Order: sequence, then structure tokens, then C-alpha cells
Amino acid sequence: MHTPIDWEPIRVTFWLTLRLAGITTLLLLLTGIPLAGWLAISRFRLKPAIEALISLPIVLPPSVVGFYLLLAFSPTSAFGNWLLQTFDIQLVFSFNGLVIASLLYSLPFMVHPIQAGLENLPVSWREAAYTLGQSPVKTVWKVLLPNCKPAILTGVVLSFAHTIGEFGLVLMIGGNLPGQTRVASIAIYDEVEQLHFETAHAYAGLLLGLSFAILVLVYSINKRVTI
Amino acid sequence: MIDVQLTYPRLFSEGAGMLAIKLQVPEKQLVAVVGASGSGKTTLLRLLAGLEKPQSGAITVQGQTWLDTAARISLPPQKRSIGFVFQDSALFPNMTVLENIRFAAAGSPLISSLIESVGLQPFIHQKPDKLSGGQRQRVALARALVRRPQVLLLDEPFAALDESSGAELRQTLLHLHQAWGTTTLLVSHHADDVRTLADRVIRLEYGKIISDVPVPLKTASQEIIRTLTFDHDTQTWVIGTDTTLLRSSNPVWGQYKPGDVFPLPA
Repeated sequence: MHTPIDWEPIRVTFWLTLRLAGITTLLLLLTGIPLAGWLAISRFRLKPAIEALISLPIVLPPSVVGFYLLLAFSPTSAFGNWLLQTFDIQLVFSFNGLVIASLLYSLPFMVHPIQAGLENLPVSWREAAYTLGQSPVKTVWKVLLPNCKPAILTGVVLSFAHTIGEFGLVLMIGGNLPGQTRVASIAIYDEVEQLHFETAHAYAGLLLGLSFAILVLVYSINKRVTI
Repeated sequence: MIDVQLTYPRLFSEGAGMLAIKLQVPEKQLVAVVGASGSGKTTLLRLLAGLEKPQSGAITVQGQTWLDTAARISLPPQKRSIGFVFQDSALFPNMTVLENIRFAAAGSPLISSLIESVGLQPFIHQKPDKLSGGQRQRVALARALVRRPQVLLLDEPFAALDESSGAELRQTLLHLHQAWGTTTLLVSHHADDVRTLADRVIRLEYGKIISDVPVPLKTASQEIIRTLTFDHDTQTWVIGTDTTLLRSSNPVWGQYKPGDVFPLPA
């Protein structure tokens, strides 16, 4: 069936998708860097458990994560009810809910590359900073992080790309509300369901082009990132 | 005085065993720690620095307890007054020479004089990757000393250097040690280091001290001692010749008097 493409919903959907990926990546950068820094240098006994918790979204089906988050965010749960009563926030079927779900789901994609980058630096740099009287926080901030810029860039790109590509989790938490929770991956599914293949092509082609452009940009920058 | 008593299980070149060290180092002494690879030399420095935790033991430095496992005291490296020069320099590649030194003690009035002492003035705005191995170690030495540590720990600082860079760095270290009198432990494989620098040599084997001897000063030149006094404030001998003025904590200087031939380490 031939249907003329309406570009306005596509523009709205892409803007929403990019906004979700951008906000998620920014928040992940702010939380992921300290977390990765701590994991890289900590000898805390329960560190393996925390690492396992962060990595869970990699091995769990998105629908499982989505299901538990849906339960937690629901106004009938204690947490969801507290959010609603205290802050008048409802996370289910909302953009804010999508951001929080994406944060949890993409966390390992930000933390792992940065943690690995930090752990691959010579131990003597960290030890030298300690013997010079500097705290672990200052050591990570001033010595270790500036020397693993490519790892940070990798974390940013993976988180951004992973958030753009989310499907199951977004569907569970956000549903399919145009302009509010309908992101590109869901729009493609929706359009194919309705046999609007041209529109699905437009979404898919744009996603493909965008992903390729991001990767080209990253590889070019990564070559130029020097210490 | 540094008073050290440590036990620490580890793997030596001879197999698993126990590092068991009992050592006293008077202030301002430069002790060379020698021994085969895997005899525990570097581990001893790391234990002193607080980079490793011993099974049991105690470290006191000038009356301050850095470690006492019985009393559950173990100061972190940051709280121990140490300078540590690593074999690989461990300079921070994102910082220039000046920034590396400032990182240790921003605003210290010693920075410029130290940079001058180690001959790095022309390179202060260079990043470490633009420096030679010898220059990098001189930066590391300046960085380790800028906080005026009570103890300087040098882990084979000359190991990766060619002969002339090594000789230059030895001279720099000797000059700074004479000027500042920082109590120093120098791990080395190199006989030259011991001959040129050390007041005393301890030899480790399988985690134990198997010999502990002062370095004999041998007459190697005809320079005459012009002045020889003992500085009670710093507990060092001040020896003046026509060409040099040096300080040393080596008690052997008590046997000399002005007019004697100046002995040089051979």
C-alpha cells in the first residue's frame, strides 16, 4: 500500500529520540565518570556485587528490566506512589520515566569503557600521585581521567547509540505516545505494523545515516585525541 | 631516625617466603639496597611508602608512627612524608614538567630552585614524552623532593638510563643529597650507584638482610680538606675543600681533620 510520507511526525519523533539520547548521555557522563573512577581504584569488598548490578542490563532482556521498572514506577507501588504524592511526578508513560529507565539501561555502556580505560593506565601514575600527597579523587580527576579521553569518548558514543537503539524497555515504560514517548525505534515498528513501509524506510534510513555519521565522527576524533 | 620492622609474605625468585626486615636508618643517611632481582628490594620500598600493607610490623620516622600493626595504625601514602621515584618515572603525560612538579606542591617556593638544581629550566613547558629518559628521571626526582619529604625512596632510578645519563643523574642526586640531607633509600643493581652515592649498603636475599656495611671511603684524589665542622643542628659533617662544600651524615668524617687528603668514594 502506498502512503505519502508525512515528515512532521518523523521530525517530532527524531527530535524526541535525540533529546532522550542526549539527556541520558549527559546524565550518564556526570554519574558514570565518578562511578567508573571509584570502581577503577576501589578495593571495597562488595565491589564485584556492584559491578554485577551495573552490568545486569547487558545480559537481561530489555523486557525484564522494563517489567521491573514498570512495577517500580507504577503509582500503585510504594516508590511510584511516593513520587506522585511528594513531587507530583508520574514516571510511567512519561519522558522523565524514559530518561530514568535509559539511565539504568545504558549505565554499563558508559561505565565499562571508562573503567577499563582507567584500569589500563600504569598503576605507578596513581601510586606516584598518592606518594605526592594527593587524594584518590584528585588523582582520578587530574591524572587518570585526562589520560583516558578515548575511553570517555567511547563511553559517550556507546551510551548515546545504545539509547537511540532501545526498543523493548522504551515500549514497556513509555508506550507509544507521539511527541512524548514515541522514539524512532518504536515508530519503525508501528509503521511496519500498519504497512506504511515508506515511512518505516524514512525512519530506518535516517537512523542508519545518523548512526554511521556518529561512528565516522568518533573514529576521526579518536585519531586526533592526544594526551 | 627511621626504625623499621616488617614481615610480609610474598613470592621471591627462590619461591614463596617471608620478607622479614629489621632496619634502622639514621637521619640524612643514604642507604643503598642491593640484591638479586626478586629478593624483596622494591617491596621494602613499597612497604615503607604505604603502597603495600605488611602482615605485621612497625615503622617510625623521627618519632612519628607511620605503621604499627599491633595498634592498627597504618598511615596511607598521602600521610607519610615520602618522595618516591619510580623506575619508569611515573610522570603524568598530560602535564608539563612544571605542572608535574606543581602537582606535588603548588606554590612551593622550592620549585624554581629545584628545577635549576636538576638542570631542567629549558624544558619546563615540555610534556614528558618530549624528554629523554635521564631528563624524565630528573623531573621525577625534583617532583619527589619538592615537598621536602623526610624520606626519599628511589626504586632503581638509573635502571633504564644509558651510561652518561645515569652518571649525570647520580651527580644530581649526590648534589641534592649533600645540599638537603634527605634520608634516602636507593634500590639499585648498579655497583656505580653504591660506590658514588651510598653511605651504607644493605644486601637482601630471599627477603632478609644478609649484610649491612658502611661504604668505605677511599682516597682517590689529592684534594685537601680545608674546613671540617660538625653541624649539631642538622647532625651532619660540613666538609670544605678548594672546590667543594658538602654535607654528610657518614660518621667516618669524625676520623678526619683539616689538612687531611679528601677521600672520595672509589
